[in-house]
Amino acid sequence: MAGGMDLGGGGKGGKKPLDTNINLVPFIDLMAVTIVFLIMTAVWTQLGRLQVSQSGQSAQEEQPQENKPPPPSLLITEKELKLSVGGLQYDPIPIVKDEKGRLDLKKLLENLGKVKTEQPDQASITLQTEDNVLYEDLVRIIDACIGAQFPSVSVSPASS
Amino acid sequence: MAIEAPGKRYGKRLQHSKVFGHPHGAKSVNADLNVTPLVDMFVILVLFLIANFSATGEILSMSKDIELPEASNTDELQIAPVVQVSKDQVIVSGTSVGRVDDLTREDYLNIPALEEKLRDMKKQFEDLHNAANDSGAFKGDVNIQADKKVQFRIIKRVMFSCAAAGYGNIAFATMAASQQGEKKPETASRE
Repeated sequence: MAGGMDLGGGGKGGKKPLDTNINLVPFIDLMAVTIVFLIMTAVWTQLGRLQVSQSGQSAQEEQPQENKPPPPSLLITEKELKLSVGGLQYDPIPIVKDEKGRLDLKKLLENLGKVKTEQPDQASITLQTEDNVLYEDLVRIIDACIGAQFPSVSVSPASS
Repeated sequence: MAIEAPGKRYGKRLQHSKVFGHPHGAKSVNADLNVTPLVDMFVILVLFLIANFSATGEILSMSKDIELPEASNTDELQIAPVVQVSKDQVIVSGTSVGRVDDLTREDYLNIPALEEKLRDMKKQFEDLHNAANDSGAFKGDVNIQADKKVQFRIIKRVMFSCAAAGYGNIAFATMAASQQGEKKPETASRE
């Protein structure tokens, strides 16, 4: 079967059979080499990045505008989240974690949605973070802010 | 004993029988292997691997000491210097620049060894690109690969050191979270 194309006996006057076999050996060789190469170069972990800036620097170049309202500020402590926009301060959101230790951010997303409705052009948010906050929680909150259409996230230490 | 071709062998009594003793044609000893399922499997495997192929390669070296947090609204990771922050130490370019316990006790705002190392790296980068008349190539990108249980007090100092050394575009490396919020299995973690 895989031994080459069978074109019949080639006898004089004899009818040539129509069935031909394709030689698959080079194809299998190519496949084997390709598979080895792809497995060796494969990257199995799906990684991403969250762009942040320190307070005072902006991740995206941004010119201060006089008419532009100040960005919302979120104070992150070990026990609660305090969102404030200008002079308005939202109710503190207690830190609640599920059985896997992940933050429950429904309330925060709700409040960020309200801010976004009031200030649709606002793309910045400042996260004031206390020292004891875990990096995992900070990343979850940054992720939530970016998901709530605040892509320019500044991180700064909370002033104690 | 003579080697015989595979097939039915009748007893001596029937060897001369016209019915049993003389088969109609001699069977070929050659046997072909059916490779069609093998080729099918190879094709599916190649398609799967090509679909998962990443042209950027491995930007971060995964360490057992560092468990990255998960995030879903992420961008693609860029090639940049990586600062690794595990539960024990802070590492840049394979060199330890501080122990987390010591850094927790200190009240400084930066990590001097990290800042110095990053300044050296920046200088090397700029010298290299100036030699090639490619000024302005330095964007100040840096990736922070930190364990999810590290406190912000360490991250804060790492960020400040990066910014002080000229690396202002800070990116936190994260694992891509699945849609259901379940962690994908990390099948290839390397030291």
